[in-house]
Amino acid sequence: MAGARLGVDVGGTFTDLVALVDGELVTGKVPSTPEDQSRGVMAVVQRADVAAADVVAFAHGMTVATNALLERRGARTALVTTEGFRDVLEIARQNRPSLYDLTADRPPALIPRELRFCVRERMGPEGELEALEEGGVEEVVTALRAAEVEAVAVCLLFAFAHPEHEQAVGAALRDALPDVHVSLSSDVLPEFREYERFSTTTANAYLAPRLGAYLRSLAEQVQRASMPAPMVMQSSGGVVDMSVAAQLPAACVLSGPAGGVIGAAFAAAASGYEDVLSFDMGGTSTDVAPIRGGDAQTTTESVVAGVPLKLPMVDVHTVSAGGGSIAWADPGGALRVGPRSAGADPGPAAYDRGGEEPTVTDANLHLGYLEDGAQLGGEVRLRADRATPALERVGASLHLDASETALGIVAVADAEMVRALRVISVERGLDPRDFALVAFGGAGAMHACALAEELGIATVLVPKAGGVLSALGLAISDLRRDAVAPYRAELAGVDADKLGEAFAELEERAGEGLERPDFQRRADLRYRRQSFELIVDADDVDALGERFHAAHERRYGFRVDEEAIELVNLRLVTTVEVEKPPLREAAPAGGARAPSRRRANFDGAWTEVDVHARAAMGVGSQVRGPAIVELSQATCVVRPGWEGAVDEVGTLVLGSNP
Amino acid sequence: MSQERLDPVTLSVLASALVGIAEEAGAVLIRGAYSSNIKERRDCSAALFDAGGRMVSQAEHIPVHLGAMPEAVAAVIARDPEPGDVFALNDPYTGGTHLPDLTLVAPMVYEDEVVGYAVTRAHHSDVGGMRPGSMPADSREIYQEGLVIPPTRLVRGGEPAHEAIELILANVRTPEVRRGDLRAQLAANRRAEERLTELMERRGADTVQTAMAEVIDYAERRTREALREMPDGTYEAGSEMEGDGVRDEDVPLCVKVTIADDELEVDFAGTSDQVPGNVNCPLSVTRSACYFALRVLLPADVPANAGTYAPLRIAAPEGSLVNARRPAAVVAGNVETSQRIADTVLLALAEALELPAQGQGTMNNLVIGGADWTYYETIGGGQGASAAGPGASGVHVGMSNTLNTPIEALELEYPLRVERYELAYGSGGAGEHRGGDGIERAVRVLEPAYLSLLSDRRRHAPQGARGGGAGRTGRNALGEDELAPKVGRELTPGELVTVRTPGGGGYGPPCC
Repeated sequence: MAGARLGVDVGGTFTDLVALVDGELVTGKVPSTPEDQSRGVMAVVQRADVAAADVVAFAHGMTVATNALLERRGARTALVTTEGFRDVLEIARQNRPSLYDLTADRPPALIPRELRFCVRERMGPEGELEALEEGGVEEVVTALRAAEVEAVAVCLLFAFAHPEHEQAVGAALRDALPDVHVSLSSDVLPEFREYERFSTTTANAYLAPRLGAYLRSLAEQVQRASMPAPMVMQSSGGVVDMSVAAQLPAACVLSGPAGGVIGAAFAAAASGYEDVLSFDMGGTSTDVAPIRGGDAQTTTESVVAGVPLKLPMVDVHTVSAGGGSIAWADPGGALRVGPRSAGADPGPAAYDRGGEEPTVTDANLHLGYLEDGAQLGGEVRLRADRATPALERVGASLHLDASETALGIVAVADAEMVRALRVISVERGLDPRDFALVAFGGAGAMHACALAEELGIATVLVPKAGGVLSALGLAISDLRRDAVAPYRAELAGVDADKLGEAFAELEERAGEGLERPDFQRRADLRYRRQSFELIVDADDVDALGERFHAAHERRYGFRVDEEAIELVNLRLVTTVEVEKPPLREAAPAGGARAPSRRRANFDGAWTEVDVHARAAMGVGSQVRGPAIVELSQATCVVRPGWEGAVDEVGTLVLGSNP
Repeated sequence: MSQERLDPVTLSVLASALVGIAEEAGAVLIRGAYSSNIKERRDCSAALFDAGGRMVSQAEHIPVHLGAMPEAVAAVIARDPEPGDVFALNDPYTGGTHLPDLTLVAPMVYEDEVVGYAVTRAHHSDVGGMRPGSMPADSREIYQEGLVIPPTRLVRGGEPAHEAIELILANVRTPEVRRGDLRAQLAANRRAEERLTELMERRGADTVQTAMAEVIDYAERRTREALREMPDGTYEAGSEMEGDGVRDEDVPLCVKVTIADDELEVDFAGTSDQVPGNVNCPLSVTRSACYFALRVLLPADVPANAGTYAPLRIAAPEGSLVNARRPAAVVAGNVETSQRIADTVLLALAEALELPAQGQGTMNNLVIGGADWTYYETIGGGQGASAAGPGASGVHVGMSNTLNTPIEALELEYPLRVERYELAYGSGGAGEHRGGDGIERAVRVLEPAYLSLLSDRRRHAPQGARGGGAGRTGRNALGEDELAPKVGRELTPGELVTVRTPGGGGYGPPCC
């Protein structure tokens, strides 16, 4: 008995659990408890059919940090910065959010002006320009005490390379204010470019008290239930010890979406697909991400709730379009979808809860992709007789009937999704035709075949656990730590031994307390005088140059072999791999039910199609489009020209046959 | 050409795809560029044009770039571009704006037919001329401002025209950086053509070309509809440029705006003749500024393309400040006078429409250059307040929206030290809603260098609206000495240049 691996993911609506017990997937779902997410977590654990004593690992993804940032409900936080630069956080990059809306402003800085304090000191590129004024630090301590702050971010110029002043200020603050959280920019993100470093560090301090309190409370409850302490999913797609997460909350902001991408990568790899695009379409938003060689890709360019966070995060691109996006005819005579969403309340017109405007869901219902009268989550019943009049109303001004309008809504929504998928493929230098599409979320599998056709993708994967893929991702996630250190040098003049020593030093620190850690060395490189870097693998110093040239060509369309290359940062990804249990799928249930039939519209023509219940299918069950497969929390539309079967891990693998 | 109308769905889908192509080209340009001006500050733009030279879609980066692009494409079309050609130009009198803005125009070809043009425009931080940075405060004719490039093939039939490229690079102070930036521009143009080709393969060339025409029609319909809802009438306003870089005297600007049904006319009669200094505008820049003012009046979801501007007529007297003749100097027209034109058109319309107070109305162009380096920055300031709320502090307003150069990037690259970068507290105008605050940026030079400073609103403050107070004027200083709004001079090591930018106007009477 290998023991159970538990993953619990807190989403906006539901808290999901996946337990992997001897290759079997146990799942659970309870409503989320936003005021204290840990209640939902414990509820889903207690309800699940897993004995606490069998649990060997417990990984957790949550939205505590994300929500605190979105709702600006973090700790009362102060900034201590270099004299003369008090407003770097507020000025940001000085660009306005909208070119032509003269009334728009950026979201307010996390730390207001009156909580931004300055100390006299200055580091420059070569080191100290002006000594740290000791008396100034004492004054700041007094002011911070009077301001009753819960957290402080210390952000000094050039601390990424010369952290001595920051460390001195940090030590003084920790000494004088032991109950206050202190984040140093040289610890959180030792990289140049002050605004992004300050912003990331500030977010870290702002979130630390809230996330720390949440995790401590959860840990107590978990301990009482006699289970191992939870590991926390980070935005980078690996889990860390709770204590590490509490110190680096800025690295946990995309905890939820990261789990989904890791889950998609795992499910796809189990079916033999390592290069995939994940496509998670829900009610109000859609997440897409590239996965290469079985690995979720990361980026350091995320902006969450208007706050740049330069820490490695799974490269998820989110668009605010989903099943609830509202369709409308604009005054110029074009059919538009979104950006407004009907949300869950009143929801699509078909919910019959007062929604009058047609949504993508209404279109899917009218076209027969969703079943008229189907129950959603036990409460809402879909009513086509509500959806159709709403479609007719919008179609009237465009001279379209209800079906044309519905087809149009789906086509316009699909175009938005295609654009999102192009951002994470072609704009990253990846050809979507080399990838399979993994569809999940309530609406993902409904649109996947059409998107695949548009992008030239030949294979669509619909995992059985599509409704709880984030939780699955947590259950099988590796432990991961990310580190970065500045290292500025011309590549041609780099001494391989010295570089090796620098990496070895990073590895020594990162591997502390870990069993058999695996290290991936990476480096940020650029052409001389360029001001943007690309990250390439750095396991082999001699290959760095060629890898950079190739990466540059893939991403930007050209390379300059005669140009000198600069090294800017060293990065280290430390992982401890967990054993990934195999997934299994049973044979089809005996006495297989014949599929039911219903009318559905494909490309303008109504046809009678097979409707398969996924629950009645098993290994080898086949489906040929046009057809519909109804999963427990999602619906898959198999377009004409597509066919496939359930494989041995339970994923429906669809291929287009031109 | 007779075209069948597209259904509303195909139109919506293709409009999205065409914008996506321009945005991707813009992303390639920013990412691939070398100079901090393009890469860190994103002083560049990208757009798609149809085969007839009408703008179809754009990546929205810098307002002043985009409105002035049609002239560039027209100038290239007049030179019979062939498949595989890429033209460069910067001549303000043949499709350009000011010399540092280098525009690349490439015909996009599908099955041997030119189906449109890919256009990128980027501000190169040196194109030769009398001062490092090619933004002299004291130029008197265009030839002093840098190398003038009429439409010239950089690529001919797919092959680089090395001689033309070398000619350009031989005339600039930082040739290797220019070469890198040009490469990125070429890659961006190429990317746009690749993506358009793919789109035509998927959707059919005819359908895509029809869509190009229809998104233009669509924008025009939306614009005319918005104009029809505005009160007909003629509205006037006057303003001034604070010196032309040669004489420190105000240069008057007069604007008469007429709304008649679904048309808008802007007449500049009464505006100063062109001046000896460099605040003159070629007509393309004046047009950009009027486009901006119009675009501000429209609903946010109206796309910006040739159709958007079809209902706009501009009457600008030839030989005036706003329609200068060769060889007038023009470098500040693009960055400063354009701001004032947009401001003044909106000021005239404020009589009839609900509009925000004035923003800082200047870009505060700061150029410091030495033997083999050039630092160029424009500095944000206060935005005007509006009925919706206070004005933003420390942002670019009007015709620019470039990012700042990070202090740490700047000091790693140039012999400069930034001593202060903060908001000028309280510089926004008083009001029910306060205007946004300006910025104070102080830079010490560590090596001998030359300073060029092009700014405005140092004497005449940005105005408030509906009883709101004016924003505080800006101030330029060298050490303790106040400098003129437009100034150039030698700097010795250790000297400190301080620029304080204007605050925005307030909105509504201040309470109590």
